[in-house]
Formats: sequence, C-alpha cells, structure tokens
Amino acid sequence: MNIELVFSGDIADMKIDGILNSENAHVLQERLTEVMQSDAKVLELDLLDCRNISSTGIGKILLFYKDFISKGGDIEVVRSSNSVYELFTMLKLNQLFTVNLG
Amino acid sequence: MPDKPKILVVDDSIAIVNSLQSILTISGYSVDTAFNGSDALRKIYKNEYDLVICDIEMPGVSGLEFLSRVRQDFENSLDVILMTGYLEHDYFIEAIRLGASDFIRKPIDTKQMIHSIKELMFRKRSRDDISGFFSILNRASFDYEFNVENFTKFAISKVFSAHLRHRFKVNAEVLNELLVCVDEMVYNAYIHGTLGLSVEDRALGHDQLQSLIDQKIQDPEINARVLRLSFSIDNITNVIEITVEDQGQGFDYEHWLNQVKSEPILDIKEHGRGLSLLYHLSDKIVFAKQGRMVTIQKSLLHTKKDES
Repeated sequence: MNIELVFSGDIADMKIDGILNSENAHVLQERLTEVMQSDAKVLELDLLDCRNISSTGIGKILLFYKDFISKGGDIEVVRSSNSVYELFTMLKLNQLFTVNLG
Repeated sequence: MPDKPKILVVDDSIAIVNSLQSILTISGYSVDTAFNGSDALRKIYKNEYDLVICDIEMPGVSGLEFLSRVRQDFENSLDVILMTGYLEHDYFIEAIRLGASDFIRKPIDTKQMIHSIKELMFRKRSRDDISGFFSILNRASFDYEFNVENFTKFAISKVFSAHLRHRFKVNAEVLNELLVCVDEMVYNAYIHGTLGLSVEDRALGHDQLQSLIDQKIQDPEINARVLRLSFSIDNITNVIEITVEDQGQGFDYEHWLNQVKSEPILDIKEHGRGLSLLYHLSDKIVFAKQGRMVTIQKSLLHTKKDES
C-alpha cells in the first residue's frame, strides 16, 4: 500500500494505492493526522488504484471525518475503484460524503 | 495446445509500444499494452501476464517504481524486463536491487529480446509446475497456529496471498475480497479475542495501541493463548473455506449477525463494520464455540460484485 499526499491551497489530495488493511492502517492514520494539522479545508481522496479497504482502514477514515468536519472540513472521494465504490455504498458511507466511481 | 504466453508492454512512446507489439505478436506471443505506469499497475492487478516489458523513464509512475510495486505484491512470480536508452550505473544498481529480471537497451535488439523472453519463460514454467500440482488436487488444506508474541512478526495477508496467487492462481478480484475477509477474521481474533482489547482501544493511535498490546502480552494468561488460521480449497466445487479460532472470551455473535443482516452500520461511533464486510463478502458465515471460532465459505470463481 502506498499513499501520496499533496497540499495545494486549502485542498489536500491523497492518493492511496493497493490494499488498505489492519497491517498498514497506521500509515493512513499518520497521513490523515498531517492533513488534520494542516490548513486544508477539503480532503480529496483518490481511491482508483485502491483495490480494497478493510474495516480498520474505514475506521481510520471515519475517525478522521468526525474530527475534520467538526473543524469545518470536508471529504470527497474523487475517484474510486469498483470494489471500493461497492464497499462504501454497501456501508452507506456515500451518505456521509460524496463518493465518485472511476 | 497451450495458450500463448501473455506479455504486457509498457512505454509512454506509442511508436515503441506499436513496434514491440508487432514483433512480439509475430514471434508467437499474446500482447497487451499500457502507456504509463499507473495503467500498467491497474492491468497487472486485473489480468494475468507471464511477463512485463517496461520502459524505465516514464512520466508519473516510473519503470523502477512499477518494478518496486510488482515485487511488493507479486514477489518474484511476475518477471519484469526493463528497457532504457542508457544504463546509468546508479539506475542499474537500483533496478537489480529491486529485482529486475533482465534489461533491454534501446534501440532494441530483437534477437536479444526474444532470447531473454525465452529464458524467462523457461524459468517460469519450472515455477508453474508447483501450481500445476496444486491444481490437480481434489482438495488442499493448510493449518497455522501462532502464539501471541510471534503473531505480528509476519504479515498474514502476504502469506495467504502468496498461497492463493502462486499455487492456486486465484483471480485477482476474488483474492482482494478474500484478503479483506482474512484481515477481518484474523485482526478481530487477535485484538478482541486473544488480547481482549475493546473497540475504544482499537481506535487508539498506533504507538499507544502497540504499547497496550505489549502490556497485555506480559499477562501470563494471555501470553499462553494461541490463534489458529486454517483454510482449505476444494478444486471440484471451487470453494475456499477459511476458519480462524482464538482462545478468548467469545462474543454475542448472534446479536451482531442479526444486525448486519438487516442493515449495514452507518453511525460513525458504532462498531461491527468488520462483521458486516465479512457477511457481505462471503457466501456463508458460521460462528462456533461462543464466537471464538468463525468460518466462511466463498466461491473462487466470482466476486460478490459479479453476483449483484
């Protein structure tokens, strides 16, 4: 699993490749902490090359979401793979933030 | 007659890709193409290739980065030949360190390239003999037992993935769903079952959680516990069965199962998402021993997405 994080203005672009699971979710947590400590107002997640996410990874995103919206931030999944899109839809995460396919 | 070996050619130059595609097709290979590293990565996770020929200097994901990702996820099961117009010493060392199977200089010497491909195909056939053995078995079973201290020393997903990818040639999308299932089963059995940690503990930062785990392991009762993972593959029905068992207190699985059957969980503070994923990604889920043992069955032929 690889994470690229780029800040441009008040937008944080995060691209996650590979499978996000309990073995590497702490890496995501560290990168999300960087976003939280920055001036970013929007986190744009690119999950097109993320092949799947386990509940530990989803847990990290949701914990971040809760804190981020409380400081006025917002999340959008700008692209997602089929499997991640299905998973986010199944868990109804698309009711919390926008999830785009492909 | 066996299928033609399948080669993925990756280069940002359309002219080079087209030229290689023609040469390799005439030489009897089935060829697929990609014009950048990201597209190539997407293709190798979706399709099965015998070999990749990849340019080193590409914008975005470079040939070296591509190679590094292949070695991370496919280990040595997929050969990658790198091609470049020049071979700087540092590049060369880095490519060797990352595990390049061979190099081709540009302009391409066709004879040398075909020779290199044939050599690599010969070596691959020897490796494939092992998967040939596993494919003729009616059924194969594997059992693993871990003690608490050694559990985190290896990434279980890598071991499991290597078995299924290399020995049983499981389709990449099915494998992805299986990896999520195994992660849910094993992580829950370790964190909640074996160590007895709470949902709140699990949400701690990495260092805090690790220090709590280290403390728990010092408890002689917890230290004596083991965790078991077993899986069997039935080649006749094309079904995999995975079982994970811990020696903890168990949990009220009936309550949770009823909940995830009726409605997936949305509330951020709620838990049970792991069980919800497991329920939706598997074909059958059975708990036993007061929740300390969970077994799932799943078809190896199609994903849950295909079914819906």
